[in-house]
Amino acid sequence: MPHPLIADPRAGAPPAVSVHAARLDYGGAALFDALDFTLPAGRWTCLLGPSGVGKTTLLRLIAGLEAPVGDTRIVAGDGQPLAGRIAWMGQQDLLLPWLSALDNALLGSRLRGDGDPDRERRGVAIELLIRVGLGGRLAARPSALSGGQRQRVALVRTLMEDRPVILMDEPFSGLDSITRWKLQDLAAELLAGRTVLLVTHDPREALRLGDTVHVMAGRPARLDQAWELGGPTPRPLDDPALLAREGELIRRLAAAAEA
Amino acid sequence: MKAVLRALLVFAGLCLLWQALVVTTGLPAYILPPPTRVFAALVGRADFLLSHALLTLAEIVLGMLSGVVLGVASALTLASVPTARRWLLPVLVVSQAIPVFALAPLLVLWLGYGMASKVAMATLIIYFPVTSAFYDGLRHSERGWLDLARVMGATGGRELLHVRVPAALPGLASGLRVAAVVAPIGAVIGEWVGASAGLGYIMLQANARMQIDVMFAALLVLGVMAVALYYGLDAALRRFIPWLPQSLPVSSKE
Amino acid sequence: MVRRLALVLAALMIAAPAHAQQQKLTLLLDWFVNPDHGPLFVAQERGYFNEAGLAVEMIAPSDPNDPPKLVAAGRADLAISYQPQLTIQAAEGLPLTRIATLVATPLNSLVTLRDGPIKSIADLKGKKIGFSVGGFEDALLKAMLEKHGLKLGDVTLININFALSPALLAGRVDAVIGAFRNFELNQLDIEGKPGRAFYVEEEGVPTYDELIVVANKARAGDPLFRRFVDAVERGTTWMINHPQEGFQLFIKGRKDLDNELNRRAWAATLPRFAHSPAALDRARYERFAEFLKAQGLIKQTAPVESYAIELR
Repeated sequence: MPHPLIADPRAGAPPAVSVHAARLDYGGAALFDALDFTLPAGRWTCLLGPSGVGKTTLLRLIAGLEAPVGDTRIVAGDGQPLAGRIAWMGQQDLLLPWLSALDNALLGSRLRGDGDPDRERRGVAIELLIRVGLGGRLAARPSALSGGQRQRVALVRTLMEDRPVILMDEPFSGLDSITRWKLQDLAAELLAGRTVLLVTHDPREALRLGDTVHVMAGRPARLDQAWELGGPTPRPLDDPALLAREGELIRRLAAAAEA
Repeated sequence: MKAVLRALLVFAGLCLLWQALVVTTGLPAYILPPPTRVFAALVGRADFLLSHALLTLAEIVLGMLSGVVLGVASALTLASVPTARRWLLPVLVVSQAIPVFALAPLLVLWLGYGMASKVAMATLIIYFPVTSAFYDGLRHSERGWLDLARVMGATGGRELLHVRVPAALPGLASGLRVAAVVAPIGAVIGEWVGASAGLGYIMLQANARMQIDVMFAALLVLGVMAVALYYGLDAALRRFIPWLPQSLPVSSKE
Repeated sequence: MVRRLALVLAALMIAAPAHAQQQKLTLLLDWFVNPDHGPLFVAQERGYFNEAGLAVEMIAPSDPNDPPKLVAAGRADLAISYQPQLTIQAAEGLPLTRIATLVATPLNSLVTLRDGPIKSIADLKGKKIGFSVGGFEDALLKAMLEKHGLKLGDVTLININFALSPALLAGRVDAVIGAFRNFELNQLDIEGKPGRAFYVEEEGVPTYDELIVVANKARAGDPLFRRFVDAVERGTTWMINHPQEGFQLFIKGRKDLDNELNRRAWAATLPRFAHSPAALDRARYERFAEFLKAQGLIKQTAPVESYAIELR
């Protein structure tokens, strides 16, 4: 249930994001070339593929962290510029070690120079931190938190950004299984209704969280046909349909690795 | 407290070694006086040594302050202004390459025989370590944080102030530790070249008068000052930069 | 430079018809090579050391305080030192003894700029005086000031290390003590700003030997040393008789010494060398020791024989 102060995504309609003719070179060869890719509006898209194929690079391209080359165009479905509408969650929690959990959650205001967050905004951050189970650790520094706890702070930080497009680069890969599943549930709940692109190497995670799943393969890399999965997310772990799909996905990944 | 006791023990051990060295090698007192004579000189000329020691300490502390301010400013400039890198970097390297005792007479001639030239010497000698350490820290910020800051919409200045500077503070801390140990050398060289007071001057005077025990007593006081400065600074750094990653768990708990 | 000289000498000795084996002698100079060392180099170049069966290696130190210590510690045979310093060193227990005098007058002087406001020592009241740390400048100065009714507290003493002339020329100090009258005065002349010198022995300080040769007390009876001093005497005599040729020998093979300053200093130092280097005037040494004691630089005066001898 979104917090009243965090914009209800369904009201503001997060846009679709389209990537046209993307090209990026790496080490002299094209990592991908003439790549077309669309993130459906307000849905979760998961991207998998062998290591080094270019998933993270594609993500960074969309985030504006890599300069577009050649004819590459990245546009939002509603025609507005994408800059300032993206929130980023990296592989590491990216918490600043000198700030408390609360201050890390409020990092956006600090970095944008919005002045000290007012009491309301602070209140929202605190509530969200309580919601993810960190109510007693508001003043703790990252070094005093476990990996899972830190990633939860990162999740709250992402939410506080209140942006319609969320880009995530294997955010739960460094965690143990139980923590990972719990965080997947939390993320699915809190980020519901936004346009999300999740890069992951875990097939099960993709199948639990994704409305659409893509496999990226080859050099130059290409994306396969989108695999639409129906039903609400997060899908339960013991869902027989999930288990059946997992086999299929792993087969596709294996084929991609040989491509 | 335990750390102080440990330091005293090490010191006592070194003195015993020193005494043993004098006894076994039979070195005459005018080359290496035994610790007993040095301590006698220390006690006998205590207030004399103390007043000169305070002067040298003042030179060291002022030199460190100005060196750190200059160094931090230079590092920030190097990190934010690309043209500065082209011009300032060579100056930085040259400041380190020139042996300070070659510059000392010039500084004394320009700045006079008072404290100014000694402070300038100490500043010069720590300028490079401080700037270099802080600049390296600023340059090598975690890529992930910079990515996050970019996507969040931070300007270059905000990113510098809120991400790169705090991230570089541990690097600056190492630079400061080096500075604490090296600054006394600058002050003393300055005194050798032109001064009428201070521990460096005492050492020179005592040496010329063959009062080698007094010379060593002054040396000892200088050594103790430098060590105290280092540990004092270290404690202050730990307090202000408590998130320093410690790979070897050290006495931070004591 | 000096080592090259020693190597050349060694080569010459090997080439020359072999006499008895030359005995090695290390002589530490007091400062870098300058005209004060004239007789030594003349003796070297004229072969007087060779004829005395000696191979003398002359070494210029980086720190003028080292040579006496090294001789006292047995690391070198002889050193050029100063009578005042020797008196102080002996009082501190260094086992040194003077075996010869090189320069028999003081060279130390209080120097100001001739065209400056200081016309007499009394004018130094409230002024800045530069010195190098030699150990006893304040004693000299005190005596000189007292003669003119001033106290040490009436002036400001500033340690300017060895940059005496530059400090005076730059106006950083009003006067300098420790300037050698044969050297610094000529240096100032060459710079076009001649100096005015007040000679210490004329202003209340008992006269003394500026440059002496010291040896370790334990070896004072070594016959080597008498032969060395005799050779130095021959060098001095020849130099006084042939001053121009003497200078040529001094700069032979040492191009860096061939300059105007050394030329002038050579002429200025000539009359000051001891004509009889081995001779010792006991009373003179006693008188100076008493002076140092009165100035508080030494606690006791020791019998002169304990730190200065005339070699047999």
